[in-house]
Parts: sequence; structure tokens; C-alpha cells
Amino acid sequence: MNTAMFSPRWLKILVPLMLSMTLVVTACGSSSTKTTKTPDPYKSVQNNKVPAVAKQAVDGSKFNRFFPSAGDGYKTIPAQEKKGFAEYKLNKGTKTVAMFSISDTVSVPDAAAKFKGSTKKIGGYPAVETGKTATSVLVADRFQAKVLSRDASFTKSDREAWLKKFNLSGLANVK
Amino acid sequence: MVKPIQKLVDELPTGGITVSALRALDFVVPGQWQNLVGFDNTIKAVTMEEDPALIQQIGERAIYLYNDESQGYQRAQWLYETVDSAASALGAAALANKVGENISFLGFLSNLTPKPEKAQSIDLSIKLVVEVVAFCQINGIPGDSIGDFVSALADYGGESLMRMAALVCFDGLIPLGPDFILKAGSTINNLNPSDLTNNPVFKSVSSLIPGGSPAGQLGFIGQSFDNVKGWMGDFVSSRNLTPEKVVNNLQNFVEISKDKLDYLGAFLDVTTNYYTHTGTQTLARRLIERAVAEI
Repeated sequence: MNTAMFSPRWLKILVPLMLSMTLVVTACGSSSTKTTKTPDPYKSVQNNKVPAVAKQAVDGSKFNRFFPSAGDGYKTIPAQEKKGFAEYKLNKGTKTVAMFSISDTVSVPDAAAKFKGSTKKIGGYPAVETGKTATSVLVADRFQAKVLSRDASFTKSDREAWLKKFNLSGLANVK
Repeated sequence: MVKPIQKLVDELPTGGITVSALRALDFVVPGQWQNLVGFDNTIKAVTMEEDPALIQQIGERAIYLYNDESQGYQRAQWLYETVDSAASALGAAALANKVGENISFLGFLSNLTPKPEKAQSIDLSIKLVVEVVAFCQINGIPGDSIGDFVSALADYGGESLMRMAALVCFDGLIPLGPDFILKAGSTINNLNPSDLTNNPVFKSVSSLIPGGSPAGQLGFIGQSFDNVKGWMGDFVSSRNLTPEKVVNNLQNFVEISKDKLDYLGAFLDVTTNYYTHTGTQTLARRLIERAVAEI
């Protein structure tokens, strides 16, 4: 066969196509070994089309100046900034040891509701522990400042100490 | 309908040519990439949490965020998938059942056509631009200054760093040789907008490349290449990377003849989809970080 009659693009499409047909044949042959699928635990949320971020959420860029500045072997690196959310990494050397975030709970009312009945305070604001790695405070009943451990060396007391370094009273005045 | 993010992450392969090719690059970025697959698994690895109720809560928030088109995650995923051509994805799927076997690249040879240098240079630069655009779709433009943004890019690790290693090795060093930065740079400087509009990779992603017109987009591509070429040069020289070293490591799973490197480039192009694979992992990680912070 004269392969020159096929352009490279055609070959690129043809060859995998032929190969994939072989795969289909192979796959059909082994269908009896398939296991039963477990139900999707996320099925109910998957079909929910509610916007993830509320219209009135504060722009993430307004949060940047309230994050702690690092130093002393630590470095903060901006990681994400979206409407209602801003996040920094805390690096020690080249290792990320924690994440800092500020979010507007107007989009996630449950995030604010979890502070109800909290007796603990950090920097004068209601504080909550979530799981084993997160500590957060709720400022002005709306903005959640959170510190999340990303290395075993970064403990609960580290999280609390760093939360105090956020400019929480400044954050309380964000409109 | 877009495919649910939890399915995309659950269905990431644990073997096959893409995974083997990326593992072969462990010597370039040692220990950075572990091929994390599975949605709940990724939540556990990222957050270091175990409680099923908490994992579920994080997963649900992540899905809300992904499904809201305005949040940019779907566009990023589309970019990663599209820049790996449809043909590559098919090739990878077709060869996925070859895991563990030594793949004979020579048996494939007659079906491969190396890309001309110009097309390869355009591919390389467009993949770089896709990286920048996808980064912004996923993370926004974090921080208060351009300097902040550059420091965020410089802090690449894990699967993102592996993706860049693969870009340098599979789309730079192997098909274009050790002076690929120079070659690609000079090709891009001499391109006309029509060169771009005739390129299949550009055509597939052009709707999301900034610049307004093909001429403007060409300018953006040139600028992006100029901005990262220093980083790429350092990446290569600090690791003493050569095409030979990359080939030696690839030889662990694919039979390669060393005088056919341009064919090896074409082989990797057709049989791997490393942008989609590691891109899905990057997206899942960032999405989960946001979800756990917001709940």
C-alpha cells in the first residue's frame, strides 16, 4: 500500500481509531468480570443547579490586605482569588505547611451557622475547630477567616496563633 | 452536559502510557507526582481529614463550585482536554490495555509522522499559553500585583510541576532537541497570524486565548513564551536535562531507537494525554482547597 496517499493528519486519526476498535472488542469480551457499581454519594448535589457564589458576595481582592504578613522563615504566597474568596499558602522553605483563607459566608450560610453556640473565641471573635486540621473565626457575622494545616508539624496552637495575626478588626469593616 | 468532576477524578487511570511516561519523568522532578486518583481519595490527601461526613461535605461544596460555570473550572478542564488532541486521547485509550507490557514503539513507527518544526513550536507555545489561561480560570489572579502572580506561578509543585516537566521534555527536548527554546522562540517570532489559524491545536483552543484577533493572539502567545522561556531554560540547565536522559528513562517501558527522536515525539503526542491527566489533578486539588476553606 502506498502510504503517501494518506496525509499525516489522517493517519493520526486512523491509527488510534483502528486500535480503539481492538480495545472495544477486548473490553466486550471481559464484560462478565465487571463489578456492581456503588451508588454515587454525590448524586443529589450533582443535579442541583444553584449558583455556587451569591451575587452580593464581596470581591476576593478586598480580602488580600487582611492576611498576615510572614517572615521568620515563613513566606506567604497568593494562591486563589475569586468572588467571595481569597487564599494564601504559608510556606516554610519550599514546603507548604498551611493554607490561609477568607471567605464570604453569604454564599454558604451553613459555614456561618456552625459558629452559633461557639463558646471559644480567638482575637475576640467566635471560633470553631473543623475536623483535625482547620480552625476558623467568624468576623462581623459574615466573613470566615480560616487556617488549615497542610503538614503534621503545623498544630492546632499554630493555627490559633496565626489566626490572631490576621487583621480581623479590619476585615470586620469590609462592606 | 459536562461530565461531573467526581467522575473525571474517579476515572483517572492508574496505568497506561500517559502514566508510565509521566513516571519516567520522576528523575526530573523527584517525588513531586504520585498519580493521585479518585475524588474522595484526593479530598483525603489534600485535607489530611478522614471523617466521612466531613469528606462528603467538602465534596459537595467542590461539586457546587465546579458545576457553576461562571466559576471558570469547567473552562479550565475544557482547555486541558482540548489541547491534548482528540487523536491522542483515543490513542491513549487504545493502548491502555498494554500496561505492564513493553510497548514496541518500532511496531508503531510506520504509522507515525513527525511534526514539522514549525508545527511543533506552535504546539509548545500554545500549551504554555493554555497553562497560563487555565491557571487564571482556576485560581483567578491571586494577590495584589503582577509580582504576586508571578510568585504564584513560580510556586508550582506536584502534578502542576510534573505537567511542566512533561511539556519541556515531550514537547520541547524530544521533538526539537536541546536548543528547543531558541528554535521555538525564533519560529514564533517569525509567524504570521495565518500560520496560527492553520494550526489545528490553535484552532481548537483559540476561543479562550486572549488577544481579540489572530494577530493579537499571536502577540499574546509570543509574550507568554518570552515570559516563561527564562524559567524553562533554568529548568533544563539546573537539572542538566538532555534528550538522551529523557529517552533513557522512557526506555524502561517503551522500546525506542535513539536515532528516531522526532518519531518518538510523534508517538508521545498520539499516545499520551498528560495535559488532561495532570490538569484534572491540579483542578481537583485547587477546587478541594477552596471547598474546605469555604464550608
